Amino acid sequence: MSGLRVAVPKGAIFEDALAALGGAGLPVEVLRENGRRLFYEGEGAEFIVSRPSDVPVFVEHGAADVGIVGKDVLEEQRPNVMELRDLGTGACRMILAAPKKKAEEVERAISHAEVVRVATKFPNTARRYFESLGRQAEIIELHGSLELAPLVGLSECIVDLTATGTTLRENDLVVLDEISRSTARLIANRGAYRLRHEEVAALLDAMRGSLRG
Amino acid sequence: MQRGTTRKFSTTPGTRDILPPESTRLLDVQARILERFRLHGFREVITPALEYSEVVEEPKLRDASFKLFDPDNQMLLLRPEMTTPIARLVAQRLRNVPTPHKLSYGLPVYRRTGVGRGQSAEFHQAGVEVVGSRSPGEDAGAIALLIETLESVGLRAPQDFVLVLGQTAFYEGYLRQVAPEAASELLAALAAKDLVRVDEVSPDIPDEAAGVREIPRLVGPATDASVMQRAERYAEGEAAVALENLQEILAHLDAGGHLDSVMLDLGLIGRHNYYTGAVYEVYASGLGFTVANGGRYDNLLRRFGEPLPATGFAISLERLMSVLPDRELPPLLVLVGGTVEATRLAAQLRSSGVPVLHLAEDFAPEAALGYAISVEASWVGYPAPDGMKLARAEPGGEFETTPTEKVAGRVLS
Repeated sequence: MSGLRVAVPKGAIFEDALAALGGAGLPVEVLRENGRRLFYEGEGAEFIVSRPSDVPVFVEHGAADVGIVGKDVLEEQRPNVMELRDLGTGACRMILAAPKKKAEEVERAISHAEVVRVATKFPNTARRYFESLGRQAEIIELHGSLELAPLVGLSECIVDLTATGTTLRENDLVVLDEISRSTARLIANRGAYRLRHEEVAALLDAMRGSLRG
Repeated sequence: MQRGTTRKFSTTPGTRDILPPESTRLLDVQARILERFRLHGFREVITPALEYSEVVEEPKLRDASFKLFDPDNQMLLLRPEMTTPIARLVAQRLRNVPTPHKLSYGLPVYRRTGVGRGQSAEFHQAGVEVVGSRSPGEDAGAIALLIETLESVGLRAPQDFVLVLGQTAFYEGYLRQVAPEAASELLAALAAKDLVRVDEVSPDIPDEAAGVREIPRLVGPATDASVMQRAERYAEGEAAVALENLQEILAHLDAGGHLDSVMLDLGLIGRHNYYTGAVYEVYASGLGFTVANGGRYDNLLRRFGEPLPATGFAISLERLMSVLPDRELPPLLVLVGGTVEATRLAAQLRSSGVPVLHLAEDFAPEAALGYAISVEASWVGYPAPDGMKLARAEPGGEFETTPTEKVAGRVLS
């Protein structure tokens, strides 16, 4: 046994993930040795570094035993994994936003159940949000720079994740509604959670200790 | 034919052609599994691949089913699993037969899947259902049969696999006692395997109801008494009955020497709503998905007008195959020759137990070797005076003359 294999997301919550894992005693220093590698072996643990949205895929298929990923990604993908712990870090909000000038127009359109065009990286989340309101939306999936879509008329509004709101402000977008709040979560493969329960439970305990301290 | 149109001659997404040797191994494993079921007195049934859509009620299964319409415009679906069709069969066909019914099956099932999720739309299941008994001994019997079956095809517990056992009614019963308003939300969170949500729902719950948070986290080997001891603290009312039921199942499993393969997880509540009691899933090392799952479903048959308690499990054959060690195929001899003498020799060898593929035309030795390798035979032979010229099926195999009476010995050794 070489210890647990842990999937760590690149990007916004990478540092938070490392802090949480390091605090629990995992050898995360290896991840800092060479920024370009994707697979690292440390003393008692292995690490995969992947896009945040791929973390649940690695974990669901058992290619990683546990992983750290934002609740926003879990809400969007609904993977069949165990969600074990809220790390409380990487806080951000899923929001509905529109250009300041058109905000009122968009709000009126939504309240009149007109069809609005929404650009998003989270099509399932956006669809469920509008369904829960009993409102209609045409959802356009993009993979980056959502803020551009309403500025050039591709969509009237966006559903996106925001931590500080800076990008929204810079692009003259205002928040119309908060859909949900998200923090980083520790997830585990269903099999690994049982087959390697001792190790997973030890990791959970160590995280609890380090978060309290 | 117009240029540019895609001709749909491939298999549909999620389905595939299964070729030798994989197909041989699949059928071989299925046969060994059904043989093991027969050893416990289970008898196979075969139900239609098509069922009326009303037969399946479970929302997740209905959503996942392929649907079509019959000539009377009734909605049909391709069976997404076997438990419900067998419940229907028992209620309709075995009304006046003494219970319990011990039935088994080895059949393909069908589910719609998203492309890119690594799932199959058609896969094979082998399983059993025990209908008409409430006894925890029958739950334990099914679990023991599942463990024995997995061992009989080459897996060892606990290094290769573990059976995770829970009791749906324990947590449910406890919640009804201490937090009836939050029960459905907590069960939904647990069904989604979201322990964070369980904690989020429960802060309003008083300390004396600590089991709300602790029960879903009670996990450990069945040989370790501490899991059950900790569970005892929350055993009141319905929860106490459920826990006692689990104790009895464990006692039966211990008597059969199967406890080493079992892990308790009181947070496991089963993937379908129809489960009412003991539920279990089998995990194998190196595979992120369940290899088998099962449990007690005492209310399912009521829908079909025959309120019988029942329990059973299904093994997913393709997933099982992916974790099984390769088994050597039985030896095969390719016998080449279009003569009557060759036909006679083939029959003679088969009657002495040698599997023979007879190529009833002339092949040059090199072509015959190439053919034999492609069908994964182990030997190639030509009729010769007083015997055969025999070579191992490998590139550059050398032919040696072997007396007829020694051929069987050499090929089968």
